Amino acid sequence: MAYEEREDDHPRKAISINQHYPLDSNCYKILDEIGKGVSAIVYKAICIPMESSVVAIKAIDLEKSKADFENVRREAKIMALLYHPNILRAHCSFTVNTSLWVVMPFMSGGSLQSIIASSYPDGLPEPCIAAVLKEILCALSYLHDQGHLHRDIKAGNILIDSNGTVKLADFGVSASVYESSLSYGWSGSSSAMSRMFTDVTGTPYWMAPEVIHSHTGYGFKADIWSFGITALELAHGRPPLSHLPPSKSLMMKITKKFRFSDHYDKTKASKNKRFSKSFKDMVGLCLDHEPSKRPTPEKLLKHSFFKNCKGPDFLIKNVLQGVPAVEQRFKRAQIHRLKSKSSDEDDEGDDSSTGEIVKHRRISGWNFNEEGFELDPVFPADDAVAKQVVIQEKGNEENVEGCDAGRGSGGGAAPSVLDSMLFLRESLDDQRQRVGQVIALLGGDEWGEMRREEQLMQEIVNLKMEVENQKKKRLELEMELELMKQLQLSNE
Amino acid sequence: MMKGFFKAKPKTPTELVRHTRDLLIFADRSAAPDIKDAKRDEKMVELSKLIRDLKHILYGDSDSKPVSETCAQLTQEFFREDTLRLLIICLPKLNFETRKHATQIVANLQGQRLQSRLIACEYLEKNIDLMDILIAGYENNDLALHYGAMLRECIRHQSVAKYILDSDHMKKFFEFIQLPNFDIASDAAATFKELLTRHKSTVAEFLSKNDDWFFADYNSKLLVSTNYITRRQAVKLLGDILLDRSNSSVMIRYVSSRDNLRILMNLLRESSKSIQIEAFHVFKLFAANQNKPQDIVGILVANRTKLVRLIADINPEREDEQFDSDKTQVIREIAALELNQ
Repeated sequence: MAYEEREDDHPRKAISINQHYPLDSNCYKILDEIGKGVSAIVYKAICIPMESSVVAIKAIDLEKSKADFENVRREAKIMALLYHPNILRAHCSFTVNTSLWVVMPFMSGGSLQSIIASSYPDGLPEPCIAAVLKEILCALSYLHDQGHLHRDIKAGNILIDSNGTVKLADFGVSASVYESSLSYGWSGSSSAMSRMFTDVTGTPYWMAPEVIHSHTGYGFKADIWSFGITALELAHGRPPLSHLPPSKSLMMKITKKFRFSDHYDKTKASKNKRFSKSFKDMVGLCLDHEPSKRPTPEKLLKHSFFKNCKGPDFLIKNVLQGVPAVEQRFKRAQIHRLKSKSSDEDDEGDDSSTGEIVKHRRISGWNFNEEGFELDPVFPADDAVAKQVVIQEKGNEENVEGCDAGRGSGGGAAPSVLDSMLFLRESLDDQRQRVGQVIALLGGDEWGEMRREEQLMQEIVNLKMEVENQKKKRLELEMELELMKQLQLSNE
Repeated sequence: MMKGFFKAKPKTPTELVRHTRDLLIFADRSAAPDIKDAKRDEKMVELSKLIRDLKHILYGDSDSKPVSETCAQLTQEFFREDTLRLLIICLPKLNFETRKHATQIVANLQGQRLQSRLIACEYLEKNIDLMDILIAGYENNDLALHYGAMLRECIRHQSVAKYILDSDHMKKFFEFIQLPNFDIASDAAATFKELLTRHKSTVAEFLSKNDDWFFADYNSKLLVSTNYITRRQAVKLLGDILLDRSNSSVMIRYVSSRDNLRILMNLLRESSKSIQIEAFHVFKLFAANQNKPQDIVGILVANRTKLVRLIADINPEREDEQFDSDKTQVIREIAALELNQ
């Protein structure tokens, strides 16, 4: 029994967890917009009947979210069933027209990512990093014990309150090892805790190698990798490789086998940065290629880096002081984005060019260089038949300050590719199906000699013609109907 | 500090279940004021621990896989006496974390087999009133998600699902899925969907026996609900139900009713694209019906211009050949109607 009496030592007080926030939008007054995602906006608001206490409201536009609400439902459920001081809970959730409102505690400091972006461009000092990460380890320990993988650990999903409390947020892409039964059938042969996932989910810079090579499957340790990247992010101000424009040119360069000897464009400050041995060692453990060798959150908590860790007061003094308010940071970031958008427009690696599909070769692994405190991607050898992964470039879409706003809130440089990957998977399936149909169609001998590409081209031409024909027919029918209608009217 | 108390810790799964059972019986009665609080707390802590241990036997943990023989012993003892009932009844007395473990135990037990028999199913058939308790959970904010998750596992047994379908509980689901609390409403909606789609033959039987009140309520409470999510989920589920081959006779009856047609035509006019698309999947069945009653034909003919325009404008976000060809088909069908008249 690996768990022992931990819970018994701290018996949870009788639960009055739900403080019964009202389920009526009229009870809330929206003050400010503090975050924006693809299908969600986060507001700072007050709850009038609760003595005007301040809350954050994440308004998810359900009309924009995918065909069914399975994910939305799961996230709401997870947030209702997790109860830990380092995990952001939802007070309640209810629908308002076509939106789902999730009412959450307002974390006035916003995300660590936005704090760094606005006030610590070269990263936080080590004692601050330790104080933040220790809280996150407590959250992860609880989460993993509950059978949940977070799958999107990054500074953008770590929130801090004015009192120095640190919470992990955004369970939009999390997964549970127990919640398999309905879709996978009953089977009790292997341990739930060792269940493997295969869907590619998360934010690229933070994704573990085994998540990217999803055929091997991944488990809890994928979160530990992302935790390690997050440590680097807090230390340097951004995750490895992020000085390169997001997916597109990054992936192009990887395809061309660029060798990054250096993953941070070295500004003076970062060049002079020295990190303690224990920090380097801790990060190194998390970034082990072999997932099973990465430590558990419990083990990491005992690492020397977290010895004599400072508390919330230290974070108030050393991180929060002088940082502008969440709503101001959000506004500034938006203005900044508008500016850079207009000046970027003809740049080669432009973030805002959407819809382009870029093929790239997968990264087969990473080398963590502990001395330089850097991370190097390793690429498959030339002759290896690399399984190609396709990543669709998306606009740099998310900017989140006070709270999490939907999947993969990238904040700044990190694009969320989840949506595009899901889309691509669907479109690949679709294409596969079509190819299958075409092959079936072409089973006859008359096509026998044509090469497959030609057959496909021919089929596409045929389909296009058919579509044109159908369109014409439809138009004719519509016109005919219109005419008849008028005739009928005149008859009456 | 409590070491002495834990000394007599049982070892075998059978003993663990027995011990759990004793403590559950204690918990069940422990509202009695004459028991000292400290003593009660101790027992509740012990109970929490036992429930956690049981869960780890069933699911395994980070170090070990579940052992089928151990699971079988546990399951046997669980159902030999009324431990499952006690666990369900005592859930409100357990702490927040323990409730989740208990829910996972109940879920897991549903799939455990003894000599290839689903023992939980046999137990539930004899204790079917437990479903009444679980369903009533939707009226209690603190229990709804736990009981709801247990319920969804239980209705994987066809006989259990049939009991609920044939009971008055079905009417309550129309209310549950519209509860203001989204967590609970969406959980109830997931259960409702499971009930109406999982066991094909049972569902077909239920629908053909109850289609008078069921679809009347479905229309008036769900499809014309003021709540967007309710409408969207309801029209999607309606499509799933009617398009299922095993429900074809119910479908024929459904698409022969002008009231139904009127409601679907209104849904086609919604400003929500998702609702329009789902409504189209149901509407096309009215158009495709080869034996349309005269009043249906009359409505379609009277509105054909509007319908054609409306349908031509519905386009899924992604290219969907099937959808386009359905559209063409429907438009053709409506156009042809006029020629026949």
